[in-house]
Amino acid sequence: MTEPEIKPDIMRISWGPQHPMSGQTRILLDVDGEKVHRIIADLGFTHRGIEKILENRTFLKGIIPIERMVMVDTANIGLGYVLAIEEALGVEVPERANWIRSMLCEMTRINSHLYAFGLQAEATGYFPAVFLWTTIDREVLLDLMEKLTGARWSYNFFLPGGVHHDLPEGFQEEVLEGVDYLRRRFQQYWDAMVENATFEMRCKGVAVLKKEDAIRLGATGPVLRGSGVDMDVRKDEPYAAYGDLDFKVITETAGDSMARLKVRFHEIEQSLNIIEQVANEIPGGPVKTRVPLFARAKPGEVFSRVETPRGEMGIHLFTDGGMNPYRVKINSPTLRNMYVFERLAELDEILVADLTVVINSIDPWYLDSDR
Amino acid sequence: MFTTLWNWLVNALFGLPGAIWRFAVGFLTWLPGALLRLPGWLWRFLWINFKPLMQILILPGLAFILVFAIIAVWFERKFLARAMLRVGPYYCGKRAGLLQVFADFLKLFMKEIIIPYDAERAFFTMMPVLVPTLPALALVLIPFDQNWVLFDAGSLSLPMFFAIAGLAPLIPIFTGWAANNKYTAIGGFRVAFLYISAEIPLVICAAAVAIMAGSFDLVKIVEAQRDMWFAVPQFIGFVIFFLGVIIEAERTPFDVPTAETELVLGWRTEFSGILFGFTMMAEYVAFQAWALLFITLYLGGFNGPDIFGSTMYSHIFWLLLKFAILVPIIILLRCVFPRLRLDQTLRLGWYYLTPLAVLNLFIVLALKLWGVA
Repeated sequence: MTEPEIKPDIMRISWGPQHPMSGQTRILLDVDGEKVHRIIADLGFTHRGIEKILENRTFLKGIIPIERMVMVDTANIGLGYVLAIEEALGVEVPERANWIRSMLCEMTRINSHLYAFGLQAEATGYFPAVFLWTTIDREVLLDLMEKLTGARWSYNFFLPGGVHHDLPEGFQEEVLEGVDYLRRRFQQYWDAMVENATFEMRCKGVAVLKKEDAIRLGATGPVLRGSGVDMDVRKDEPYAAYGDLDFKVITETAGDSMARLKVRFHEIEQSLNIIEQVANEIPGGPVKTRVPLFARAKPGEVFSRVETPRGEMGIHLFTDGGMNPYRVKINSPTLRNMYVFERLAELDEILVADLTVVINSIDPWYLDSDR
Repeated sequence: MFTTLWNWLVNALFGLPGAIWRFAVGFLTWLPGALLRLPGWLWRFLWINFKPLMQILILPGLAFILVFAIIAVWFERKFLARAMLRVGPYYCGKRAGLLQVFADFLKLFMKEIIIPYDAERAFFTMMPVLVPTLPALALVLIPFDQNWVLFDAGSLSLPMFFAIAGLAPLIPIFTGWAANNKYTAIGGFRVAFLYISAEIPLVICAAAVAIMAGSFDLVKIVEAQRDMWFAVPQFIGFVIFFLGVIIEAERTPFDVPTAETELVLGWRTEFSGILFGFTMMAEYVAFQAWALLFITLYLGGFNGPDIFGSTMYSHIFWLLLKFAILVPIIILLRCVFPRLRLDQTLRLGWYYLTPLAVLNLFIVLALKLWGVA
């Protein structure tokens, strides 16, 4: 990347990739004292060519690498690809499989939001206590998911035509127990973070993104909903079992870092409701329809949308009649939100100290944006 | 003229061996006696200077600073780990990772000191050594008893404390500049902002204390609190000074200059090895000096009931006990509070603490005028 020019009297800081909070990216900051004039995100440090890798694999084998895009949220990402394949192959999914998919997706959504809280708490300079609490509470979900899928992080559980296998015995009761435990814990997180006056000072009114700007810049996910736009793929274009499930789309009108955080908080409540509903009301029946191992799709193109914790992810799949996709284009939520992040310095005053709060309020996952 | 010089030169040249010989003979005859008397001299020196030596080496001095730094680091690691649902240091030492701090200290000694290519070498290597020195200098003024003050500056002791402490921010500013790094530069300037905003309310509060005690002498201030701690009539000043101590010690709600998530490590970013160790130690020494001053001004200093039969030992005991109660409170604040932003900390200092300190001063003046205190 060629570095843009600097005005005189402005200092340029290279924030990352070697910085305690930066993650795998570099952000160039033009600062005047403490005030940030301009943010330039230099993405691409973790580009692995996942889209190209997918072209060289059969539809089924592609599920494995695409889950590496967002390790904390493999179910939602994997589901996006599986939905695209199903549309391309014209496969019907049994109803029970759809409900199981919804449950697993909501579990990873909570998992991912918990990670986001922990980082947000750490970004405000909270001693990493909250980060470790969330990490420990994720164990509850990870154990459940391990029991269901056999893996803690990367599940490969969704297959074209259903899920890999049925719920284990007594799984529903354990899920309900875990949901109860997490409900209690979230009250504590709410007290420790949202109700904490110092935390509120750090997050409230920081990097306000107005509704018009959020739409104009193409924000997505909690960033969009935190600015008051009621948009969620799960409601707008229901996939899996979301059409039958009862949940609300959370919006906050403030548009600041705190609002984005609150959206995630309330989304976790909704996700817990969904998991509870699935555990209580899951219909019976088979969990997969048979799909040939080396299926060939008709030439054409399909597009699938899923709501990942970071926002809407789109997968554009071109098929040419072979066993592999001809071309896959992934529209990743973090990349869209990073555009918003770059403009935030123009829309609102951001200080150097706010930067970690702001970047964690959009919850970036750089592997996702770099693909 | 020339002959005189020539004669002198010849004499000096030919006289030199003789002079050396005479000096050598004299020295060698003096030496055995001197060596024989050396233990006696040392003993007399120790005997005469026993108290100051003890003070330098043990109580407000070296041992106290080191032991405090070690215990505080251990406490911080172990107890904050409990707040984080971790175990903390575990393996070094028989119990509770007691030797982990020693191990880390040793490690810091062994590590290579990396000096950045662009850095100002002299300043960069000198400053970290100076960082703990200024708070340690301020520490000598703290009275542990009427008769246990390392440097009794009399009625100058309180102003002197602030004079020495006022120099402290200079070092981070210099280091921030010397390391030639953008993060250190920002951290250095943050130090300057922060200390100025904190020290003005602190000085006003200290002035109120001095007015109430009728003296700038720390010993007299402590003696004036025999019946009632100044925390009671000057509750506002007590709270302001408590916050000020946290700001001066760069503890968590106000650890803006070294904010890890923003500035890597602020003005300390480029230090490695024992240079970093010195800056870490400086944090604890400053903490110690300001916490002891806080106790001296507001919490009755060394006052307390006589329990050991000797007033001096019980005074030292009470001061250390108050210190041992205050320090964990300030350390454990770290797991409750996120860090404030620089502008928020400055607003706290200028908008709230300074006017309140002035109010406190007026309250004290009113009490003094009406003859209550």
